[in-house]
Amino acid sequence: VIELFAITRAQEPPPPPPLRVLVAGGLGAVVGPVEDEEVTADALWHHEQIVEALMADRDVLPARYGTRFEHDEDAAQAVAARRATLSAALDRVHGAVELSVRAVKAEPLTTHSALVALARDAKQLEPQAPDEILRAAYLVDRDAVGAFTARVADLQAAQPDAQILCTGPWPPYSFTEQ
Amino acid sequence: MSDKILHRPPDLDLFATDQPRLEDALSRRIGADPENVERGLAQLVLTIVELLRQLMERQALRRIDAGGLSDAQVERLGTTFMELDRRMEELRGEFGLEPEDLNIDLGPLGRLL
Repeated sequence: VIELFAITRAQEPPPPPPLRVLVAGGLGAVVGPVEDEEVTADALWHHEQIVEALMADRDVLPARYGTRFEHDEDAAQAVAARRATLSAALDRVHGAVELSVRAVKAEPLTTHSALVALARDAKQLEPQAPDEILRAAYLVDRDAVGAFTARVADLQAAQPDAQILCTGPWPPYSFTEQ
Repeated sequence: MSDKILHRPPDLDLFATDQPRLEDALSRRIGADPENVERGLAQLVLTIVELLRQLMERQALRRIDAGGLSDAQVERLGTTFMELDRRMEELRGEFGLEPEDLNIDLGPLGRLL
């Protein structure tokens, strides 16, 4: 059984062992041995760290934690079958990372539109915490992360009662599907 | 994960509410919360019983469809399955489980029932 970590272009530098790349349909499926049988917060972080290490020097479509295949051929087949969709998604996230923003007691429209202006794409998510008025993911060019973070700080300064949290850079989890 | 914070709000604790939610989701998935072990075990056993019940019911329906049973036998099967269904409902009630709790998420394979 192997675990899928991410989809990349086929022609990327090889990942560090024990990771391997299965080439299928012009894409690369980065797989490795299944290390954590139990689902724990640590296991999720371990998966995240592997994907983030890959993200450092290539575009990735992160795989959801727990995406496993019996054999190499099964993984390659699954990737090849979705070649067009995955390839389009890789184009979409090329050179960008995901930043997450959550805001409490801020002005939602002002905050969101000020941030969207610096992002390539954005996805608003359902607020989860009490008083949360904005929970969104932004697809931001790697070299615009600093400007984006500065904009968040400006928004925070302009709204003294607000609480704005910005985290990242994350693999583009929210932008792998259209 | 503090190194992932790009902008820290004045009151970071406001955003800490997701942690229990994550832990809750994880422990539900692996059933590791000691206080819930009994309920988790009952849930697992009842899920298996429910799976068997549904398989038997399907098998019985197939035999009824095939026409190999007398009216009296069909009648008795019907009563038996109604009784099983009622008993299942009672057991669920005792452990505070809803019908949708009796299922197992098999990940990419979908759900058991």
